[in-house]
Amino acid sequence: MDYLGLFPVFYVPDVGSAWLMGLTGTIHIMASHTSVGAAMLFAFLAHKAYKEDRDDLYDYMKRYGMFLLIFSYVIGSITGPGIWYTATAASPRGISALIHNFVWVWATEWVFFIYEVIAVFALVYFIGKIDKKTHLKLTYTFALASVGTLALIIGIISFMMWPGNDAFYNTGSASDAFFGLNTFPHMFLRIGFMVMMSGVIGLIISSAMKRENVELSNELTRKMGYVGLIGGFVALFFFMWYISTLPANADAVLGLTLDSIIFNRIILAIMFSLYFFLAILKPQWIGKYLAVIMMFVIGIVGVWPGEKLRESMRKPYVAGQYIYSNQIISRDVPGKGVKSEVEVVAAKGLLGVDPWVPERLRTITPENKLEVGEYLTKRACSNCHSLEKGGKYRSMIALFTDKVQMTDAASIKSYMQVIGTGSIPYMPKIALPDEEYDAMAEWIATQINN
Amino acid sequence: MDATILNVLRDPAGVPFFPVVFQGLYILTWALHAAFVLLALGSFGLSLYGSMKQKHDANWKVLNPHLIQTGKLSISLLILLGIAPLLFTQVIYDAGWYVANTLSGAWVFIFIYALIAAYLMFYWYYYANKRNGGGGTFIGLISFLIVVFCGILMHNFAVISISTPDQWMEMYAPGGVIDTSGLNLAWDIVRLAFLVSLAIPVLGIFLQNYSDFVSTKSDYSADFVSFTRKLGNKFAVIGLLISAVLFVLWMMQENLLMHPVSLATIVSVVILLIMAMFLKNSYITTLWLVVVALFISGIRELIRYNIMSGLGYDLYGYPVNLEIPTIAMFLSTFVILGFTGVAYILTMAWKVGKLENGATLDGTKSAAVTKLGNITLGLFVLWMLIYFAWGMIILFKNTL
Ligand code: HEC
Ligand code: HEM
Repeated sequence: MDYLGLFPVFYVPDVGSAWLMGLTGTIHIMASHTSVGAAMLFAFLAHKAYKEDRDDLYDYMKRYGMFLLIFSYVIGSITGPGIWYTATAASPRGISALIHNFVWVWATEWVFFIYEVIAVFALVYFIGKIDKKTHLKLTYTFALASVGTLALIIGIISFMMWPGNDAFYNTGSASDAFFGLNTFPHMFLRIGFMVMMSGVIGLIISSAMKRENVELSNELTRKMGYVGLIGGFVALFFFMWYISTLPANADAVLGLTLDSIIFNRIILAIMFSLYFFLAILKPQWIGKYLAVIMMFVIGIVGVWPGEKLRESMRKPYVAGQYIYSNQIISRDVPGKGVKSEVEVVAAKGLLGVDPWVPERLRTITPENKLEVGEYLTKRACSNCHSLEKGGKYRSMIALFTDKVQMTDAASIKSYMQVIGTGSIPYMPKIALPDEEYDAMAEWIATQINN
Repeated sequence: MDATILNVLRDPAGVPFFPVVFQGLYILTWALHAAFVLLALGSFGLSLYGSMKQKHDANWKVLNPHLIQTGKLSISLLILLGIAPLLFTQVIYDAGWYVANTLSGAWVFIFIYALIAAYLMFYWYYYANKRNGGGGTFIGLISFLIVVFCGILMHNFAVISISTPDQWMEMYAPGGVIDTSGLNLAWDIVRLAFLVSLAIPVLGIFLQNYSDFVSTKSDYSADFVSFTRKLGNKFAVIGLLISAVLFVLWMMQENLLMHPVSLATIVSVVILLIMAMFLKNSYITTLWLVVVALFISGIRELIRYNIMSGLGYDLYGYPVNLEIPTIAMFLSTFVILGFTGVAYILTMAWKVGKLENGATLDGTKSAAVTKLGNITLGLFVLWMLIYFAWGMIILFKNTL
């Protein structure tokens, strides 16, 4: 048999495995972006403390550092591998493609992580135990290591969107994949957001210091207001450049939701500008509860939709515009010797190429038709849709009943055939043999109608 | 299912370098992961006992906060050090890694959140213990149990990944009915018991080091030094004996007892035992412990290699798509920047650790600290310059 290198399907009812990733991803972004932003902020503060010989700033850095150890270095360093592990379970071939291309980049990033983590412990615990100049130098290296981790991951996640030109497909070179069209705009967009996050978290720390030292607390609250404002501005500026470097399929998805995204971003921008201005003008009004709430606001209203959007814009691909979300390879990559699998799937069907089909389900019979239909639907569609009635993740049932208004097997089948021709830009162009469409359509119809 | 499926499940893009290099790096970096897993389990475990004694016992009062601090750092490091073997193993053993992750997908998710919960509770334990000069035992115990549970899940992934394709098929579709819930679990008690038992001797040797380190500082009493040394000796010797027995059992189970690597491991453990019992300078024992750890990591890899090649998996025949620039980046970063940078911080940490009560270190007066610091900073700046230059060149080449 002509098997393809597919892996077992892992599927979480109602929310899909993608939600697990979204959740872990959102937490990770909050933690990791704060950590890089804070590293830059620390470099600035340590510089100031050294130049102006100010001991009180170390106090602030120490508190901030303690918070970071938990927020960024506990939660961030676990959710980092966490995204990876969950992405592997949800999309093994997507991760595999990235790893087999970028393993040395990730390994380099790992060296930076090690340095970063040892340095942050040193930085926090050495305060008061080493001289200011040595501490400053250590802080500089820490900041550079932190920014280095961003520099290394950014090319990989940008490649997930697309390389931006054909060079990679022809050469197969990791450098061509890494430095794509949207790598740098994406990088500066994130740097801006990181700086802003360091301000958002910095406000929590500074507002909690009121009782011990009002003056210092107000001074730092004001500074954090500026930091947040500058970061937010940089992020917004580069966001616009970034959007213009996205592929055409992203526009299609963006088109579906653009208005609500822009609305969401405008509201966020206004809200946080007001917040930062308040911090600058009336620092005494910023209390620690407000500061904590604003952190959650940015996570729930800013990062979570942003993550969902980034995932959507990549559709129908999961990585490099050559692997579909449902794990089928969509095109040749001559530079790597990778061949498109769309043709063999069309000829033999998923049942003919999936190594994980038990013998009793290999051939469709009237008895096993629904069971096969369910499995094939999971294989072909569940990476992007939850399949249950009332599912939360781009519910397939709801899309069939509400968006295209088809509820009987025959029209569902004909709609899937349309998807198979590739005329819907955000869904994979995968044609299947007739009897597989039948089995899937019949199963979907029974789900809709019971 | 046919065993050649293992070859089909390899990534069609090939590996970017020779598989044997990944295999070597895997053995090396997993040994590092394991070392800190064991130190974390050992120091954390003992600290729970200590947290009950430290209110009344002067020696425990000094030792216990340090044990907790060691546990805290070790958990951070074990997580970080786990990343590298995670990379290297999946590059060359695609089938095992991805199948284990999908068949156990729900546990993967649980693992992450359990670990977060455990580590947060650890911090709770740490602060509770610090504030009251002892105690926090209950929350610490819960955290400890979750850490152990995480280890069991890790072990589960490892066991599934070295199962045979027929066993996978039985997990995925028991009785021919497909199950996509990702709730499979598998274990191998002897292997797990052996690996976890190593926490005891690792803790023992760590305590010996600790004792040697504080013995040169005037603010630690001779009584304390000998207390920690004796404790270390006891754990090292008893632990090594337990681990040795479990190791032999494991090797018998795997039919590898007479294999040269297995025999070499046994010899190395015996040498370690003798060193732990008699050697005055425990830092040398630690160096030898690294060798033993590499042997044990090697045995794990040998078992996997034997199973997979026995099934027809051709590891060294994995198509190679040579990728020079990024490996050049990794090797130079790892060897030059990594080692210099870590040496820089460890030098400072050593000096700070040796400070007597209340003193501060003037790094500018130490030639080693100044030089290492300047070189590290310079290397980071250079690294950034090269990175951006490289990116610009590629972008110009591909877009103009
Ligand atoms: C690569 C991800 C992906 C895969 C795989 C996928 N879809 Fe979709 N699908 C989408 C997206 C994105 C939308 C747009 C959702 C929206 O309108 O909000 C969509 C929309 C739909 C709609 C609504 C009509 C439309 O065209 O917008 C239907 C029906 C649908 N999908 C069915 C399926 C079926 C059946 C499969 C399996 C054969 C499938 N999808 C596989 C991403 C995917
Ligand atoms: C408290 C948390 C953890 C504990 C107690 C732990 C423990 C272990 C143990 C006991 C093994 C050996 C399993 C066996 O061979 O039977 C192992 C293997 C491994 N661990 Fe961890 N670990 C932890 C966290 C992590 C994390 C966060 C990562 C990733 C970043 C990681 C990566 C790995 C890898 C890659 C292997 C090798 C798996 C294989 O060979 O298939 N570990 N770990």
